[in-house]
Amino acid sequence: MKFIYLAVPVVIVILLLFIKKRKFIYELGISASLLEMLITLSITADAVSGGQASFKMSLGIFYLDSFSIIVLDIITILGFLIHIFSVGYMERDCKSGKIDEKQVRLFFILLNAFIFTMILSVSVKNMGIMWVAIEATTLASVFLVGFYNKRESLEAAWKYIIICSVGIAMAFLGIVFLHLSSTGVLTHEHQFLNFTDLTVNAANLDSSMLKFAFMFILVGFGTKVGFAPLHTWLPAAHSQAPSPVSAMLSGVLLNSAMYGIIRTFTIVNINLGNSVFAGRLMIFFGIFSIAIAAIVILTQREYKSLLAYSSIEHMGIIALAVGIFTPASVFAGLMHIINHSFTKSMLFLSTGSILQKYHTAKISRIKGILKTMPVSGTVFILGLLAIAGTPPFGIFACEWNVLLSIFNEHHFVTGSIAAVLFAVIFAGIVHCLFSMFYGETPETIEPGEPNKSGAVVLIVLFVIVLAAGLYMPDFLFNLLSNASDVIMGEI
Amino acid sequence: MTTYMDIISLLILVSSFVLVANKKQTSYIKTFRIQSFLIALSMAAIGFRHFQQNGRIDAFILCALIIGLKVIYIPNLLNKTYDKVEHKVEKDFYLNIPILTLLACGIAVFVYFIVTGIGQFDNRDITMQVVNMVSVVLIGIFFMITRKKAIGQIVGFLVVENGIFGTAMFAAEGMPLIVDIGIFIDLLTGVLIMGLMVFRINDKFDSINTNKLKKLKG
Repeated sequence: MKFIYLAVPVVIVILLLFIKKRKFIYELGISASLLEMLITLSITADAVSGGQASFKMSLGIFYLDSFSIIVLDIITILGFLIHIFSVGYMERDCKSGKIDEKQVRLFFILLNAFIFTMILSVSVKNMGIMWVAIEATTLASVFLVGFYNKRESLEAAWKYIIICSVGIAMAFLGIVFLHLSSTGVLTHEHQFLNFTDLTVNAANLDSSMLKFAFMFILVGFGTKVGFAPLHTWLPAAHSQAPSPVSAMLSGVLLNSAMYGIIRTFTIVNINLGNSVFAGRLMIFFGIFSIAIAAIVILTQREYKSLLAYSSIEHMGIIALAVGIFTPASVFAGLMHIINHSFTKSMLFLSTGSILQKYHTAKISRIKGILKTMPVSGTVFILGLLAIAGTPPFGIFACEWNVLLSIFNEHHFVTGSIAAVLFAVIFAGIVHCLFSMFYGETPETIEPGEPNKSGAVVLIVLFVIVLAAGLYMPDFLFNLLSNASDVIMGEI
Repeated sequence: MTTYMDIISLLILVSSFVLVANKKQTSYIKTFRIQSFLIALSMAAIGFRHFQQNGRIDAFILCALIIGLKVIYIPNLLNKTYDKVEHKVEKDFYLNIPILTLLACGIAVFVYFIVTGIGQFDNRDITMQVVNMVSVVLIGIFFMITRKKAIGQIVGFLVVENGIFGTAMFAAEGMPLIVDIGIFIDLLTGVLIMGLMVFRINDKFDSINTNKLKKLKG
């Protein structure tokens, strides 16, 4: 019955097709996303009330455990906050004549469709349907990326759909091989492709076929995660999309694709008895992504692209953490998923306010944000410190734990490279972006927040980010350790 | 049965070579239509076998879907799009045709060595079919990167999809029905969206040459 949260966005999309008034569209969008968030939080409450016991919930093809709940909660909480922010954002765009009423409706329809595909992808146990849902996330968000219909945004949208569709097609080839590896092991049709059944029977699967499957799935979903060198769509799409959509892409979408990889990763590791094969592949992609991001961040001229590269970096860190495959590193990786999602969404949302105020994406043309926009500016500068890995924010703790677990496993070379790259990225972010905060505001720009309700969202997000760095409640600790047990192969 | 399937899978591979050798965008669409028809034929063969064995009609449903979507609807849609956006015939490839065909042969040989290296495929009668289908996937990607026009890239994507669908069909007699139907829905929306984007690109850039899309770098 709890799986009803899947129906909410579908109903909203249908209702929005008939509603014309902007005010109703906004109210409906916000209340529906609030409802979704409350339902998933109540499921989370069920999951954590059992204390140490692991949690499972299953109905037909639908399935939730501690790991999926973490990703699901991120989607619905950010979905709600981004909805509120979008109202102010769209209203301002609409008043300035950038878009018309019809586009506002289209935006909310697509946003809800996008949320639906993402929650579907983490709520099923059939890898095939998960693939269908992840492919559908691309389709639902393409027009959101090309929303402004300018030359650049069309280019970004075209790159996005072509690169991601082909990438995801590779993942499907991997899923076909995953299915083949279970020939003779899973005999009932309802078991086919279920990661629960595959995990239970992992030891009997055909190893060479499974390795082949994992490589395809890693590259395929990795395209969507943004692993270098498959990342080229990501900076283009993030920089051209409206800021709420960038926040959604970076904070939420990348996690859903990462979720698909991690599920397969678990199966492969149980089958092979260790994490040498799959873990090394993950570590390679992780380090390579961090390195590419570090190089590009140093020379970036546009703030949204810079944040997009920072997402590539953080996805690399998560891959690295999971690839090390010890309980501590997986725990740190999961914590990183949560911290990165909230911090990065907060940053992208504040760039939305900056963009609406200054009308430019270039770093060099922006001066004196702190004076012009006290709330967005402050949140932006603190958010940058957080994302670069400064204490006391959560990302620092995660990066620290990831490094510790790497050195504990005696991967000294990997650990040193990662540490140096973190430092380079910190320097890059400070070097490139801090000029935006000082100097005199151009005279043509009036001080004041462009999006009042959005400023409240930014403050809420900042409180979450700060709290996540300072204190970890028991229930969250239990949830994370249960989830890391799931990833380590306990079903 | 195996011989029949071998021959069809080989024909599908040949059709992707034909695709690489095509010069005109309208011929891409024709070749894609033929290739999809071949896939439908093999699906029908699997359907007959399933029906005889246990009376299931899953494969027939899929066969009907393939004919409806990939043989009739999508090619017609692409032809319409082409008529509306393209007014003159231009060279659409970076390298010349003989070199492209040779490289495609190289891909097929490469796939043969990779696939036969997987333990489970040793001495099984599906090896050749899997080799052919994985080659179709890679040739599809190769086709996409060697063509400039948006329509060529859409056809390339569809061929990649055909290859993957073919791999699932020949190697595992298809995926569970619900997954297959999901894939068709995705494919259909994907192509519709790409078709729409082609119009918009044509509006803004006065051309569907994707090598004009190069503003966003780094």
